[in-house]
Amino acid sequence: MKDPLVLFWALLILASIFWYGFLVFYVGIKAGREISVLTKKLGGRKDG
Amino acid sequence: MTLTPFDWLIIVIYLIGCLIAGLWMRKFVSGVEDFAVAGREMDVNLGIASLAATELGLVTIMYTAQLGYEKGFAGAMIGVIMGAVIWMIGRTGFVIGPLRTAGVMTIPELFHKRFGARVRWLAALFVVVGGLLNMGIFLRLGGEFLVYATGMPPGWLEWIMTGLLGLVLVYTAFGGMLSVLVTDYLQFLIMGVGIVVTSVLVIIHVGWFNLIDGLNTAWKIGGGAGSTTAGLAAHPFNPFHSSSYGWGYLGWQVFFQIAAATTWQTQISRVLAAKDAATAKSMYRKTSFYYVGRFLLPGLWGAAAFVWFAQHGGLPKELNSLTAMPHYLSIVLPAGVIGLVVAAMLAAEMSTDSGYMLTWATVIYNDLITPCLRTPLAPKRQLLLTRGIVLAIAVFLLFYGLWYQVPGNIWDYLAVTGNIYLASVFTLLVAGLYWPRATAFGAGAALVLGAIGPITFLVLGKTYAIAPEVAGASSFALAALGMIGGSLLTRAPKSTLESESRSPISIR
Repeated sequence: MKDPLVLFWALLILASIFWYGFLVFYVGIKAGREISVLTKKLGGRKDG
Repeated sequence: MTLTPFDWLIIVIYLIGCLIAGLWMRKFVSGVEDFAVAGREMDVNLGIASLAATELGLVTIMYTAQLGYEKGFAGAMIGVIMGAVIWMIGRTGFVIGPLRTAGVMTIPELFHKRFGARVRWLAALFVVVGGLLNMGIFLRLGGEFLVYATGMPPGWLEWIMTGLLGLVLVYTAFGGMLSVLVTDYLQFLIMGVGIVVTSVLVIIHVGWFNLIDGLNTAWKIGGGAGSTTAGLAAHPFNPFHSSSYGWGYLGWQVFFQIAAATTWQTQISRVLAAKDAATAKSMYRKTSFYYVGRFLLPGLWGAAAFVWFAQHGGLPKELNSLTAMPHYLSIVLPAGVIGLVVAAMLAAEMSTDSGYMLTWATVIYNDLITPCLRTPLAPKRQLLLTRGIVLAIAVFLLFYGLWYQVPGNIWDYLAVTGNIYLASVFTLLVAGLYWPRATAFGAGAALVLGAIGPITFLVLGKTYAIAPEVAGASSFALAALGMIGGSLLTRAPKSTLESESRSPISIR
């Protein structure tokens, strides 16, 4: 781990794993709400 | 490793959930605009989920793992470049801002506004040919992953591929972009969980310090020589080393990725479905780091597979650098988890197939067929025609995917087929949006000259050993030369929308 190149890739792998995990929760909740807004809007347009 | 009943239960629940969600969205489709760009109502987080799911297919996981197997962690440098480029485009709005503001449904449609109907048609032809050839290998590679990761008989590959494509076809043909967005969302979630779980289990299984020592040892054995089962020919940590990508190739990749991120129609279709230009830019910025993991995490699995096989008697004869990773995962993943990971990989495959089928069908309908019709079709017939094209693409994929064998490295194949239209269409986009002096003649010259490089590479690349970066860079240079020379040799356009006013074809 003394090699700065190895340290660079290690940090990038760690950051990628955390970022993927974070996105699943954050985008999962937010995009779920956006889908319900989208379907309400499209459904309302059709009814109207 | 064979799948247990619990694994199968996870996979079946996931597939049924996708089908129900996809078909449920069908009732909201009332016209081609809903079908192709979701009525332009997509918000930023749904855009992130859809873009990430579409651009991370099982084919992506296979070729990025192959790069990790052959080049160690340095193989993921392309992902680092891709992430930086996409963040910069999201920050500046280069191309994607004015493209979304133009309100078009496809890139060739913008060319109609700027250069006239002929350029639109020719550009659409290049987009469709490059895109379909690129997508043609997705199914077989996805099938190979499943065969090697689950231990299912190779004879099942064609049937599994056909069934999977049939499932995707049902919801894509009925619900279009609306179904694709909702199923992409489900697929994004399960893919994220599967990739994180697999990465953690791989690090635990191979051991982090053992992985680093193994790669260093392999480099000492193979450095400067060809790759062997125990030695690495490329420096595993330094992508700039002459044995790895080298400076020339990485410099070319920066340029290539700028063109890909602003021109690749499946990516741009999310930009065009966004509510506005600001939403599209935000979506790019927030998705950018996802592209780093897209190369690095499967690359980690590939590198771990290399080290594990090197320390356990070498790679079995029936495996190669492409199939080593899925076989290694079948050793690493315990029962129960492999069901989750297979469902995640099916999600990766399905989200990419649906997004790509819809995108190329939209271009064929919107830019190849519509301009040739004397009278516009009724809305119901427009939808029927677009659905028919989605079906035709699925049939093409099935047959092309079954008989075509990719020569050599998958990444090179994808880059070269994509480049058939990237160089010329990128030149047209930049000139059309930012150079008022560009003319239709210059655009036509750029289209033809830009395709010469990659086609020459495909035909003569093996005979004369043309480096991919030379073929790629020359195609961009020729396209720019055609655009500048052709435009300066002809009269300047009166206004950027001159061709629209004299064309009989209506633009939305």
